[in-house]
Amino acid sequence: MPITVTPQTFAYVSFDAATIERIARDLVASLGMAEQTFNISVDETTPLARTTITLNDDSIDIRADSGAFEDTRKPRQQSEVTTATSLGRVLLRARDRQSGGFGEAPRDGDLSLAQIAAWETYSIGRLEKLGVPVNRQRWLYNFRNRHGFSDASDGAFEQLWDSDGLTWGELCAISERAITATRTPA
Amino acid sequence: MRKFFPVEDLARDERFNKITMKDRLGDPRSVFTIGEPGDAKKAKFRLTPERRDASDGARGLMHGIFVGEIQALEGAGRTCWDFETEVEAPFALKLDMARQCWDEARHVEISVKLSEWMGTEIGQYAENTVLFEAACSTDPVLRLAGVNRALEGLAIDVFTTMKEFGDMAGDPYLEFCEDWMLADEVTHVKMGSDWLRKVTEKDPERRKKALEFQGIVDKLFSYGGTRSESDESPIGLARRFRELAGFTDDEVDVINELSLQALEERKTAVGKLRDADQFAQAAAGE
Repeated sequence: MPITVTPQTFAYVSFDAATIERIARDLVASLGMAEQTFNISVDETTPLARTTITLNDDSIDIRADSGAFEDTRKPRQQSEVTTATSLGRVLLRARDRQSGGFGEAPRDGDLSLAQIAAWETYSIGRLEKLGVPVNRQRWLYNFRNRHGFSDASDGAFEQLWDSDGLTWGELCAISERAITATRTPA
Repeated sequence: MRKFFPVEDLARDERFNKITMKDRLGDPRSVFTIGEPGDAKKAKFRLTPERRDASDGARGLMHGIFVGEIQALEGAGRTCWDFETEVEAPFALKLDMARQCWDEARHVEISVKLSEWMGTEIGQYAENTVLFEAACSTDPVLRLAGVNRALEGLAIDVFTTMKEFGDMAGDPYLEFCEDWMLADEVTHVKMGSDWLRKVTEKDPERRKKALEFQGIVDKLFSYGGTRSESDESPIGLARRFRELAGFTDDEVDVINELSLQALEERKTAVGKLRDADQFAQAAAGE
């Protein structure tokens, strides 16, 4: 599986391209995506933590802000867990799009905040099953911010977190039900 | 017990990683993508639920509040101890500082609970010790200006931003807790304003010096544009609550000017750095 990381040496942050490649290689193998080519580029000029992915015919391009791989305890240093979490999220999103069932999902830039939160919950839950350490409460808080602070919202979070093999329609339905239930007075 | 405790000796366990303002300012990265000051096309970074990274932004800011509360407790505690009663500081001033310690200790506990609620571990973010550094002045009046007026003034801005965030997101705990802590912060700033006026009543030079120190700390706490009335800044300037805390309109205008100045300076610095970086890359490619 060809994986390239750009840049190979970092000036703004103390990241290691070989570590990024190793983490990506492990994840790609675990996710059954080993046949594909990956290009990972890191924008080290910004501390933001955005990650974007582009699916090409012959490769998958991942672009990450340096904050996506950073150790928040030690600014400008790399965290293996954060790197795995950030890469895992976008890789799962790519795999979902490629494997069918997510054909009608809007482009990443057109997803609503609630849809992003629902998809991330679904992805992080699966990453946890793969053995990547995650803080479940962090993602619950993120989900609540987009779906409301209610029992219905928490129930939807549980369902997404524990799921595997959802389609885009099923994922959206869980998300929308949570929003509707939160907005509807008991 | 020794007086005037240095920032390097603050007691922290292995969960914490301390960084200084120098470390922070030495980070060449910036969220600002526009290098030119005064550019009409300004990005919005105000911390609201509409931001894509809103949850993580709120978690990071909440952790900043948490360590700020610890340092505010340590600073107010030092003011009770570092100065001789009635010779260097009035007893009633120390009593106010003792009350502030009690408030800050509760705020630390509240912040820990809120952090757990938001999915943040203690020490998950680096601790910037600049807050305590402002509490190391050997003049109690400068300390009040730097800590109670500048630092706690910033706390008013931060708590207002977080309270509004909780309100907009529908987070009942965040909105409620921030509102309660905000009320205490207004009181702390008011104590600083009142004591500054009282202690320097017959000493205009000392008052001038204290206000100058406050200006320096205010600019430093603006963190290169982190707090200002511009939407480019994650934290807003809470004018109404600052008025309640004893700031005049002119004083708030000055703080806003300082903050905007810090924002523009940061953007200029980032622009220059990127230009230099692009130049170096272009040169390397030739």
